[in-house]
Parts: sequence; C-alpha cells; structure tokens
Amino acid sequence: MAMPYIGSHILDRELKKGSAELLILSLVEDRPRHGYEIGQLIELRSRGVLHFNVGSLYPLLYRLEKRGWIRGRWVEKASQRRRRYYRLTAAGAKVLTAQRSNWREFVQAITRVTGVAHA
Amino acid sequence: MPDFKEEIRRRLADLRLSPTRENEIVEELSQHLEDHYEQSLRGGATEEEAYQAAVDELNESDLLKPELKRVERRVQREPLVIGGDSKAHMLGDLWQDLRYGLRMLAKNPGFTTVAVIALALGIGANSAIFSVVNTVLLRPLPYKNPERLVMVWEENSKQGYPRDTPAAANYVDWRDQNHVFEDMAAIVEISFNLTGVGDPERIDGQRVSASLFSLLGVEPQLGRAFRAEEDKPGANHVVVMSHGLWQRRFGADPAIIGRPINLNGESFTVVGVMPRSFQFPTRNDQLWVPIAFDAKEAGNRGSHYLEVIARIKPGITLQEAQAEMTTIASRLQQQYPGTNTSIGAVVTPLHEHVVGDIKPALLVLLGAVAFVLLIACANVANLLLARAAVRQKEIALRLALGAGRQRLIRQFLTESVLLAAFGGGIGLLFAVVGLSVLKRFIPPNISHAQAITIDAKVLIFTVVVSLVTGLIFGLAPATQAANFNLNDTLKESGRDSAAGSRGNRIRGLLVVSEVAVSFILLIGAGLLINSFLHLRNIDPGFRAEKKLTMKIVLPEVRYADKEQRGVFYRELIRRVETLPGVVSAAVATSLPLTESGNSVGVSIEGRADPAPDRVPIVITRMISPRYFETMGIPLLKGRAFTEEDKAESPAVIVISETTARQFWPGEDALGKQLKIGFPSNSENKWLTVIGVVKDVRQYELVVEPKPQMYLPFTQANFFEPRALVVKTNLEPLSLAATVRKTVWEIDRDQPVSNIASMENIVSNSVARQRFSMLLLGIFASLALVLAAVGIYGVMSYSVAQRTHEIGIRMALGAQRGDVLKLTIGQGLRLVVTGVIIGLAAAFVLSRVMSSLLFGISPTDPLTFITISLVLVSVAILASYIPALRASRVDPMFALRYE
Repeated sequence: MAMPYIGSHILDRELKKGSAELLILSLVEDRPRHGYEIGQLIELRSRGVLHFNVGSLYPLLYRLEKRGWIRGRWVEKASQRRRRYYRLTAAGAKVLTAQRSNWREFVQAITRVTGVAHA
Repeated sequence: MPDFKEEIRRRLADLRLSPTRENEIVEELSQHLEDHYEQSLRGGATEEEAYQAAVDELNESDLLKPELKRVERRVQREPLVIGGDSKAHMLGDLWQDLRYGLRMLAKNPGFTTVAVIALALGIGANSAIFSVVNTVLLRPLPYKNPERLVMVWEENSKQGYPRDTPAAANYVDWRDQNHVFEDMAAIVEISFNLTGVGDPERIDGQRVSASLFSLLGVEPQLGRAFRAEEDKPGANHVVVMSHGLWQRRFGADPAIIGRPINLNGESFTVVGVMPRSFQFPTRNDQLWVPIAFDAKEAGNRGSHYLEVIARIKPGITLQEAQAEMTTIASRLQQQYPGTNTSIGAVVTPLHEHVVGDIKPALLVLLGAVAFVLLIACANVANLLLARAAVRQKEIALRLALGAGRQRLIRQFLTESVLLAAFGGGIGLLFAVVGLSVLKRFIPPNISHAQAITIDAKVLIFTVVVSLVTGLIFGLAPATQAANFNLNDTLKESGRDSAAGSRGNRIRGLLVVSEVAVSFILLIGAGLLINSFLHLRNIDPGFRAEKKLTMKIVLPEVRYADKEQRGVFYRELIRRVETLPGVVSAAVATSLPLTESGNSVGVSIEGRADPAPDRVPIVITRMISPRYFETMGIPLLKGRAFTEEDKAESPAVIVISETTARQFWPGEDALGKQLKIGFPSNSENKWLTVIGVVKDVRQYELVVEPKPQMYLPFTQANFFEPRALVVKTNLEPLSLAATVRKTVWEIDRDQPVSNIASMENIVSNSVARQRFSMLLLGIFASLALVLAAVGIYGVMSYSVAQRTHEIGIRMALGAQRGDVLKLTIGQGLRLVVTGVIIGLAAAFVLSRVMSSLLFGISPTDPLTFITISLVLVSVAILASYIPALRASRVDPMFALRYE
C-alpha cells in the first residue's frame, strides 16, 4: 500500500527534524566532537534507524553554531589533519535541558495516546 | 586518497559565500567524505566502491545547497584578509577594499588633504566649465523641436557679407515660394518709449511676423499670440510683453490683457504675456509687436535689416532646404538683376546662430580645464608613488602571504578612486562657488548665460570624471606595486630598492608631462593676455575718461518735426552744460563701440558713378557742435561744427582721415564735396568738407577704421540723435541722476536709458575677450602652481632618498654649492625636457586659438620665450628649497642614518 508508506516517510522526516537538534546537542554535551563522529554516533546509537548524510548534518551544525548553542573550533592533533570540533556552549546547555524535558513530555503524551508501550 | 574538494566546491559555487567561509566548509565536508571513504575501505570495499559510496553520500539528499543557503544567507563579516582567492568575489572584496582604503586615507591626513584638494581644484574647474558648456552649447533651445529651427540669410560674399540680413521683399518671396519650411518668420529690432506708468522708460523689443510664436512652438502664459490679421498696417497696435516687464512695470496684474499701454506716444493693446522662461532673441527683448510690412517696405530689396527664422518640415534635411533656397535665390537674381545680382541664400541651424561666437572660446576653456585636471592627476599619482615606496614593506608582506598581484592592483585602484571621489565631492562645492563668480564675467549677450546651473548632467559628468581620474592617477602606483620584486624588497633594508628607482623614473616622467601640459596652458593664457593687451592698447580715436553717456530717443509722435527735436536737443545741451562739474555736452546719432549706427552710400564730386555694388560706403554720424571736443576726437585739419552751421547755412561735413586718404589720395580734402546717395545726379545736396578728424573705431575695437563722416544734426533730415555724451571733471556716473533730472525738467515723459560711462562702453566691447583671457589665465596659474608643487614634491622626495648618497659625497669633499648644483640640475633636466615637449605641442595646439587672438600670431615668439622663462624659473625655485635642504645635510648624520 502506497499511502501508509508515504505517511511513514513524512512522519520520519518530521520526527527527525524536530529531534535532530536535540540529538546533536546531546552528543556534544560531554565532550567536543567533529562532524563525522557526530554522524557516526547517531547512526550507531540509533542502531541504524537514524542516518544523517552530509547534506543534512552540516547545515544543521552551522545553524546551531549560528544560534550560539554550539561552537566549532579547528583543532590539530599530532599526525592528523586538522578537524573542526564542536562543543556545547552555555547557551546550548540551557537549550538542551529545556528540549530534553519537552521531548520527554512529548513522548509520554504520544505513548499515552497511542498505547504503544515503551520498549 | 581521492580529492573530494572539487566535487564539493562545484556544489557550493552559486551560493556566493565569502571565500574564507567557502574554504572552511569545503575543508570540513571533504574531511567527512574522506573519513567515509576510509571506513568503506576498511569494510572491505574496493577503492572505486569506496569513492562511489562517498560521492553517493554527498548526493544522497539534495538538501545541502538549499539548507546551506538558508543558514549562510548573509555573507559573514570576516576578519580582513587581503589577497586570497580573487575570482568571483568582486563585491565582498570591493567592500573590504573600500574599508581598508578609508582607513589608509584616515591614517595619512596630510597626504589625503593635499591629494583631495589638488583633485578638487581640477575636478571643480571641469565641472564649472562643463556646466557653462552644458547650458550654453549642449542644452537644446527652449522651443518646440528646436532641431528643426533654422535661420535664413542672404548670402552676399562678393561684398564681404557671407551671412547678411535679408531685405523684406526677398523674405516675402522666400516665404511664398518655398516648399521646405513649415513656416517662416521675420523679426527686426525696435525700441519703444514706454510712458504713462511711472517713470518713462526705453524698452527694447522686436517687430515680428504674427506667426513667430507658433513657429517657435511657445504659448503666451496669459492672453494670446498675434492673429494673422494683426500683421497688417493699421491693425498692428497690439503688443505681447515679457514676463519680466509685466512683473516689473505692471505688478504682474492679470487684468493687463486688453488694456492699452503707451508706446512711442501711441496706444497699443496688450494681448499676451509670455512665460518667464521665454526669451527671443535675447533677454533684453521685452516687447513684441506685429511686423506689419506696408507696401513700400514689402517691396524693398535694397535695405537689408531683417532676421529670418524658419521651421523645416519634418523629413526634410538641412541640405534639401538649402538646395531649395539656392534655387529660389537664383530665380530672384534673374528676376531682379538691379538689386539681387550677387545675393544668394544660406540656411543655418538656429542653435549655431545662438551659440556661434562663444563656442571656440568655451571649447578652448574646456580643453584648458582638462589639462589642469591632468596635471592634478600627475601630482596625485606622484604622491601615491612616493607613498607606495613607503608601503613597500606592507606590499611585500602581502605578496609573501599569497596575495595575488591583480588583487593588489585592485586594492590600490580602490584607494585612488576613493581619493578621486572625495576630490569630486569637494570639487563640486568649488564648482558651485566658482560658477557664481564666473557668471559675473560672462558677457551679457551670451544666450541663456544666467540659466547656468549644476544640473543632473553636470553631476553625472563630475562623477564620471572623478572615477576616470581615479583610475588614471591610480594606475601608475598600482602597476608599480604589482610589478615589484618581492625578493629584492625582502632582502634589502627597503631604502634603496629597485622598485624605488623604478618609481623615480615614473615620477620623473610624470613631472616632465606636468611641465609640458602646464606649458601648453601657459602659452594659451599668455597668448590671450598678450592679445588682450594689444586690444587695450588700440587707440579708439577718442578719449574715454570722464565721459557720461546715455540714450535719449525722442518719440516721433511727440516730436513730429525736426524743428521741435532741434529745440529739445539745444535746450538739453544748454542746461546740462550749466550743471556743476560738466565741461561740455553733445548729442550724436550713436556713440562709438555701442554696436549701433548708420552707414550710407555716397557719390564723390567729379567722379564717374561706380557700379551699384561698388558704391563707397561711409559710416555717418549726425552730431551737435562740440561733439569732437566732448569726445576727445582730435581735429587734424580745418574746423569743427559751430552753432552757426544751421539748417539754412551751406551744407558742410567733417570727414575722418581714412575717408580723406581713400577718396582724395594725395590731395587736400578741405573744400572737396560729396553727396549722400547715388547716382551723383540725384537731388541730394553736395556737402563740402570743412574739417578732417582722427579715425574712430566705431563698431569694434578690433576692426580697422572704415571711412567715416560727420554732419551737423541741424542740417541732416534723416537719422536722429539718440545719444547724449557729457564730459565732466567728476566721476562720470555721479552726475547721472542730475542729468536725468535735467532731461525730465524739459519733458517729464522722456525716457533715459543705457546710462554708462564711456570707459564702461569700451570695456564692455571687449567683455568676450576679457572673459576668455581671465579664465584661461586663472586655469594656467592653477596649472603653474600645481606643476610647481609637483616638482617640489618630487625633488624633496628624491633628496630625502639620497640623503645617504649626499652624505657620502660631502664626506668625500663635495661643497654645498656642488650639492645645490647637483640637485637643482636634476630638477632642471626634468623641467627642460618638459618645456621642450610642451613647446612642440603648444606650437601645434595654439593654432586652435587663432580665432580668439588679436594682433599676434598663435606662435608669437615673445609669448613662447617669456613663458619658457617663467616656467623654468618657477621650476628652479621649486627645486631650490629641497636642494638647500640637501646641501645642509650633515655628513655624519647622513652616514649614521640607516
């Protein structure tokens, strides 16, 4: 059936969009990471469900950086080419806290409505 | 490892990111792809598969560009990096360059001020002269489709009149026979005594064909123009007046239409008032009445006094109109052999007629200001070169850091254009001030002179000139900066580098051209000044000092016969001569150099009548006794007129020396006779010569005197006196009010006009020449000052650079004099080269001025020699100060100085 497929596709995109900021902020919370690493971690930790390609990941990073939530810095390490590491800023930390609790409420609400049990 | 950078860059190309930002993104993304690639390899993929996977990743979503565009929409403010990738980022770079340029200019206020002022002078002079040219030469005449308006003249080159004013009958034939003109109108000057409203006033106007206004395509602001039926004798007592007259004399009363006014003692009905902007043919004309030829005038082919204006039909060219008029004229030649034998017809654009005289002078001035600007450019280029030398370290550093040479040139050009823009702005202010001064010197008879303003065209002109200027003077320093050798500069201490000596060569070249150009300008000014002196040294034949003159025209209606007029003049002279401060007074038909007067053809006693076109023409003036004495015209022989030369006494004349020489060469003219008109057996009386006076320049100072004669006004029954001249021992104009009051004591309604001292009249007659001379003189002085500053600047710079060398020379025993000689010699070499080049150029260029010169040739040796000397002495002076500084160098200090 075509309809449900398209429906789930759209849902997927909307979910990703809403959650992507939260994902990235969470991933750079404990330590600075570079873009490739962030993309890898998302894919790894979501067990392949969530995948960000170059075209969606980097514009997102730049937008967060522009908002002042994360901060990128070129860092050179021995025997490596320089990479751009992103870390969470103070402003970003506040946003992360807020988004986390929002997300939790949202998921709980969805769960209550749909009756889907938490895994 | 494959390179993904190009792949990425290609996808970002049309985002127009700033170069720095783009590089950063490319680097980050390519790293991501490389990581991806390596991981694929580690996962067991082949190189091709891994590469494909990475590229797929890049292609997987088409979001990259739109998303980046949203995030990176605005070019970010980046730290200033000069150089770097130069293509495709013109705007961002320009902004950078502008800010950087502004900072550089602000950092060197001295340099900036000097450069901006030099440029402002040059650009301001250009804007001012261009606004004159724009108004006087370029602006279309304020009539409908002015390009189709022409003047039609009689062509009578055989008698020396290539463009003669047509006779009425010829005009009528032209008008009725042609098929090329929509309409044709004639005008002729006329003056009116306006009486009945306040003080009587003499007002200039024109008799015009009824269709003139519609031919020009202008409507009266109030009322109407003339009707065709008013263009007939008896129906022509209607008048259209100028806006100025309406305001000044009638309080801008809208009820003026239909009211009668009193002109020359007759009543005219006002039918129209023209708009404020209307002037035809000149601003002086304030009244227009229908020309209304009577039968006699309409049939006259012998008196040539009309001006004829016509509008060419659409689709007909000037050449076609000319051809048609030539055909008609040759038909008239056959039809009227007695009068029209040598008369053709010429069609000329109205615009050419209006601007004709002043055009050469304005073009020369425009050339002159362009030269001044060139000199200013050379000066600023010099300053920039000197500064570029100082900035060598900065340039070297940038080149070393990878700045492109093109990028450097652009930076330098931006700076110079910025300078020029400031110069242009201030120049515009100079132009505004300059114009208000300039207007006072513009000869009053130049059309639309008072309308000269700075309009949009002048603004655009100024902007363009400023930009071009900036590019021109910026080019030398910019290319020098780009060409210099990085290695040399970094190796040396920077004081005596190769670039420095190349800069010196360019600087020398600039000084040479500055000198050459200012030499040309000085020659132009010198020639005009010299020519003006010639003009002022011409003996006009009379003494202009302490003479008061005024125009008094008796209206024919009030003073119908000669007897009445004689009574008025005699009474006027008698009363004026009793005024304190008055030595003597006289009246005449017209005064010298007032562009008016009469000439007559004469027959000479005892000579066979010549062919009609060879009749001798004599300038004729009717005068009162004591006219010669009052005007200071020396009597050479015989006697002047007295009160005893009455109407009924024997008819007598006084002739000028040229008349005596031409008519009776080698004989005594006294007692000889001639007669006005021809043939010699006509009824006119023979006139006996009783005196010979010195020649007077009657019309123009520059024209060699032609034969002249004087008649007692009591004996002449044509040509009425119109001018009063009073010899005083006071300041002439201080008597004006008293004399005018005396006139009004005799006749309360008698207008008095054109009150002027004779010296004023003489000086007005050379106003045009004075205008050209004054302006070119100012520009040439400006050029001289700029050139002197340029020489001074280059010499100072070169002395500063050579301090070390001079120190060594002095340590080795060179004396102060030697150093002076060395330095001045260096400056002199440049100047002499410039003078030689300028000499050659001026020799060729000064020929364009020949129409402006009087009494000297465009290659007048005296002017050329004087100017060369002036320029060389100024140059020596300008290099003397730096030379003196050089000679005071303390060898110890110079050697230690490193």
